[in-house]
Amino acid sequence: MHRKNIVKLAASMLTILALVAFYMVPVAMSQDDMTQVPADAFGTLERPRVAFAHDAHNEKAGIEECVVCHHGKTEDGKMDKENSSEGDPCSSCHAVKPTDGATPLMRAYHRQCITCHEAKGAGPVACGQCHAK
Amino acid sequence: MSRIADRKVADPGLANGVASLTPEKIEKVVNQVLKGETGAKLKVYQETCMRCGLCSQGCHFYMSHDFDPSYSPVNKATETMYELMNKKGKVTPDQIYLMAQMAFTECNLCKRCAHYCPIGIDTGYIMSMVRRICYMLDVVPQYIRDTSHSHASTMNQMWVKDDEWIDSLQWQEDEARDEFPDLRIPLDKEGADVYYSVIAPEPKFRTQLIYQAAAIMHAAGVDYTMPSEPGWDNSDMCMFVGDYENMGRLKRAHFESAQKLRVKRIVMGECGHAFRSVYDMGNRWLGYKNSPVPIVHAIEFYWELIQQGKIKITHKYEKPVTIQDPCNVMRGRGLMDKLREVVHFLCEEVVEMIPNREHNYCCCAGGGVINCGPPFKNTRMEGNRIKAEQLKATGVHDVVIPCHNCHGGLEDIIGYYDLGMHGKFIGDIIYELMEKPEL
Amino acid sequence: MTEFYVFVSGPLAWIAWGFFIIGSIYRLVSMYALAKAKDGSSLAYMSLPYSLRSILNWLIPFNTMGWKSDPLMTVATFLFHIGFLLVAVFLGAHAVLWDTAFGISIPSLPGGFGDAVSFVVIAACAVFAYRRLALPHVKGVTRPKDWFSLILVALPFVTGVLAYHQVGPVLLMTTLHVLAGELLLALIPFTRLSHALFALLTRSYMGSEFGAVRHAKDW
Repeated sequence: MHRKNIVKLAASMLTILALVAFYMVPVAMSQDDMTQVPADAFGTLERPRVAFAHDAHNEKAGIEECVVCHHGKTEDGKMDKENSSEGDPCSSCHAVKPTDGATPLMRAYHRQCITCHEAKGAGPVACGQCHAK
Repeated sequence: MSRIADRKVADPGLANGVASLTPEKIEKVVNQVLKGETGAKLKVYQETCMRCGLCSQGCHFYMSHDFDPSYSPVNKATETMYELMNKKGKVTPDQIYLMAQMAFTECNLCKRCAHYCPIGIDTGYIMSMVRRICYMLDVVPQYIRDTSHSHASTMNQMWVKDDEWIDSLQWQEDEARDEFPDLRIPLDKEGADVYYSVIAPEPKFRTQLIYQAAAIMHAAGVDYTMPSEPGWDNSDMCMFVGDYENMGRLKRAHFESAQKLRVKRIVMGECGHAFRSVYDMGNRWLGYKNSPVPIVHAIEFYWELIQQGKIKITHKYEKPVTIQDPCNVMRGRGLMDKLREVVHFLCEEVVEMIPNREHNYCCCAGGGVINCGPPFKNTRMEGNRIKAEQLKATGVHDVVIPCHNCHGGLEDIIGYYDLGMHGKFIGDIIYELMEKPEL
Repeated sequence: MTEFYVFVSGPLAWIAWGFFIIGSIYRLVSMYALAKAKDGSSLAYMSLPYSLRSILNWLIPFNTMGWKSDPLMTVATFLFHIGFLLVAVFLGAHAVLWDTAFGISIPSLPGGFGDAVSFVVIAACAVFAYRRLALPHVKGVTRPKDWFSLILVALPFVTGVLAYHQVGPVLLMTTLHVLAGELLLALIPFTRLSHALFALLTRSYMGSEFGAVRHAKDW
């Protein structure tokens, strides 16, 4: 391969990367194109990231109300199933290592997903089903 | 792997016993012993033994037979007790013959395998209970059976009559007075510091040991006595036969004979199994946690006399010696340091056997095996090649052996393997070296 | 399949733990009652310091005659038992189960390390199997129940590794893994694996006899 071609290829790849990065910014902000459960708060991950297509999941599961998942918090710090908290990331209340007695983020995720899947008898329940390689 | 059935040894005691057995009787007796006399200990041993085979190298029979698994402790337990437990006693008379041969002649109950089992299984105990069942079925090798009959009838091991016993002591006293003019063997002296007890083979055919002990007691100025009544024999082959009722009778007679004389303590001669019978088995059968009269083994007694400067020797034994550690006083009572201090006090040079102390290989005579007599001599000879190799490797000619059974066993092995060695009791050496009056 | 997994990881887990805990208590209590009734002459000599002395000395690899006599077995059994306990309690996925189900957070092994330990445990099981097949003094005394208990402990590790590496259908593997673990747990008190309950006691007894009565080492 010619040297000129290599430079050309590198330049085009960089352009693609830059474009992808540019488009990712709004993706992170909106749920329309959400594809994974946010896990950056955990730092280094032990297991593969969990795929989660927000809209497709809710359509399939028939979930209309946000509060089904996005529950709020009562004044005494308990789970509030009436008032939703959509718009706020889970980690805004559920710290990875909470000091205020809140449920830790990982436990909140696991319980949120697995409890519902088990109750409905649908959706992934075993470790490797969500944390697929 | 060899099989016990292929090495069956003809023995009238086993054969006659088995001839009168029926499967029903076997089943009844086995279950009677298992339910009545054993409990959680045996049950847990059978259940938790993981059959890992680590015990194998603990056994001199296994080592001497080129690692033949038939001789490994776990296999011996599996072919005898575990089989009886699994089959709930439903075994044939011929199986009982083989089990008895294995339990009486291919295990010395030396418990060396205890150092090899991670879980802590006591194969010696398991094999003892096999013997107990065989005894209850009256399937016991003839020679040791006769010995236990002697115990039951005369309260001593060697059919020694009451007057013969006293006569032997007085004869030795007489002999010794030629050498030590004012020596006495005081009989039945109440309140003496020491009650000296021996095993019946001493008056029967090792009378010089009584002579030597009397000489040492005399020279050390020990206030001692020997009993004239039955109870004087501390040996106990009933313990190895599985005749626990008579084991109890013997120990009670022995303890009570000392109590009657209100002595401070019993000192016993250089014997291993007799020691086992007073601190381990006989005392427990009678319900004593420890023996009711303090009992000191000859090794410890000589050690005390040396510490107190009461044994004076003219010179040290010049030739190099090695030391046989008898199971019942080493693994059984931790006298290995005292034994060494005594031997080093008496001898110029000691060449240790490897392994030694509580890890010593058994003499293959103890546990009643030598008492099973001539039919099983080859079992002992072939079963202890490892000891012959161990002895040979020391390159010395004298072995200090503070135990009667070890003496018999090692002398046989030395002859069979042509090692050109000789066994000595500590008493032999002390007597040889001690200061004697000039006449 | 999801419903079956839910059953296996829910009610069945309680049943398995029930078998294990109640079964273990029953076995220990009934064995102690039997010992009290029949083995008074042994129980009388039990001594805590000598028990501990014996247990400690046997916890040191190559410290005892037994451990010195068979290095392969010694290495295998130490790695197996340590690995077994580490993985059973502290594996990352197991810690998550405690966390999710009961809100208990315990420290856990890093994923790669837990994985490696699991492989080591399987290798140790292979050593045990090799000994039962190839060494005459082990083969001769090996019975079906010895194989059964070995398979019983190996299965959760084999299925666990397959589930972790997502070999085969993930949900099926995970379900089998949980089942294998529950079977193991429930049968510990009733198989050769009951040495988990009794071995410390037999060791203690031997230690007490050798320490208090025999004045000698039992290692």
